[in-house]
Amino acid sequence: MTSPSYVLLFALGLYVVAVLEGWASTGRLRLARPLRAGVALLGRETVTPRRPDRVLYETAPVLLLAAGLLAAAVLPLDRGAVSVDLATGVLFVNSALAYVMVGLVMAGWAPGGAYSLVAGWRFLGQLVAYSMLIVMPITAVAMRAQSLSTTAAVSSQVHLWNLAAQPLGFALFFLAAMAVCFLPPFDLPVSSDLAGGVAGEYTGARLAVVRLARVALVLTLSLAVVVFFLGGWLGPVLPGWVWTFVKTIAVAATMLVVGRLVPRLREEQVLAWGWKYGIPLALVNILWVGLTLLGVR
Amino acid sequence: MTWQLLSVAFFGLLAIWFGVTVFRTSSMVRSALSLLGSMAAVGAMFLAMQAEFLGVLQIMMMATEMTIMAIFMVMYMMDPGGLGQMDMTHQKRVSVAAGVTGALAGILLALLPGWGPIVRSVPGPARQTHDLGIELMNRSMIVFETAGVAILVAMIAATSVAIARRR
Repeated sequence: MTSPSYVLLFALGLYVVAVLEGWASTGRLRLARPLRAGVALLGRETVTPRRPDRVLYETAPVLLLAAGLLAAAVLPLDRGAVSVDLATGVLFVNSALAYVMVGLVMAGWAPGGAYSLVAGWRFLGQLVAYSMLIVMPITAVAMRAQSLSTTAAVSSQVHLWNLAAQPLGFALFFLAAMAVCFLPPFDLPVSSDLAGGVAGEYTGARLAVVRLARVALVLTLSLAVVVFFLGGWLGPVLPGWVWTFVKTIAVAATMLVVGRLVPRLREEQVLAWGWKYGIPLALVNILWVGLTLLGVR
Repeated sequence: MTWQLLSVAFFGLLAIWFGVTVFRTSSMVRSALSLLGSMAAVGAMFLAMQAEFLGVLQIMMMATEMTIMAIFMVMYMMDPGGLGQMDMTHQKRVSVAAGVTGALAGILLALLPGWGPIVRSVPGPARQTHDLGIELMNRSMIVFETAGVAILVAMIAATSVAIARRR
């Protein structure tokens, strides 16, 4: 797989996720919606807050987008098709995703407006709840692969997908991934309760970048779920990259739809559940994977 | 080798510059984000020195730590939302003395001990991670465990001091 086709496939994925996002929020499947929304945002008047912290205000949307794209760069689309094959790829995914939160806090704080400020800090509160649930299931995946390489994580699932080998880790990671992309029901920080929250003070082209960053995050996190738990490119008959694409879009669609069926969670509920149930369960998962590894030997 | 040296120097200077900006702003949030910039630059220095695991780890840990530190500073200080105009320095003479002493100690530590010859071939990233794990679980275990427990104790102690006494 060549690098232009890699980029094209990723761009196609972004568009499909954007279409799905529109479908999940409006209930109507319109193929041209992201294109029209993008053109409309770029053409609209840009209103900036009166006294923003200019550096952080301009950095935040770009940082958000960069974090999503960087995390995607170490995830393989097919056997041998990965932009950067880092020996510490699994850790790098974490590392890049950590800057999502930095970007959102920046975006919330920089405009100097009350609503976005509260939303930024709320998002940080939420992070304390779910960040361990990103790291700990990934640790269990790395344990089974005996490597921190993302390619090795897929190869370790040839006989049994991690979905079956560590279902608890999958469930926790899936929920935490939804929280990273601030999808419903974890969307309090960007919700209408706070007049748009973190994204509330962004307009025009900057808002377009923020929206694109959110779509990129959903795609990247879905790809991460596929690589870590759903066997990545593994599958019969079809070429590997088709399998990755189909699985990723299916995970993204599930993420976008499932959350809308439950009421929005307040951040202290997320915190309580994350620490009282999530982290102990993640520890049980690590113990389980360790025991099965010892048993196999 | 030249490029490596240049990038180490560049990120080192960047780390120092961000460190300076920590004290030149009037907001806790800007200060904390500058500190994050400084720490991330140190992570980039690790990467430039081909210590992949340490670099990625540093860049990851600092993002979370510095932002959480920001929310704690905003919570405990008289700076609502981090929007206030606050001086980031206090006890200036003591701080200057401590800073200069620290810098001198750092320079002496860099220059005085014999660090041995420069390694020409670096082990691969996977090998480094493996060796680091063995080191942490073997010879240095007691050091790291002690440090970890000390940090935990400090956190619990700080929280208990911060809670108002109930009657």
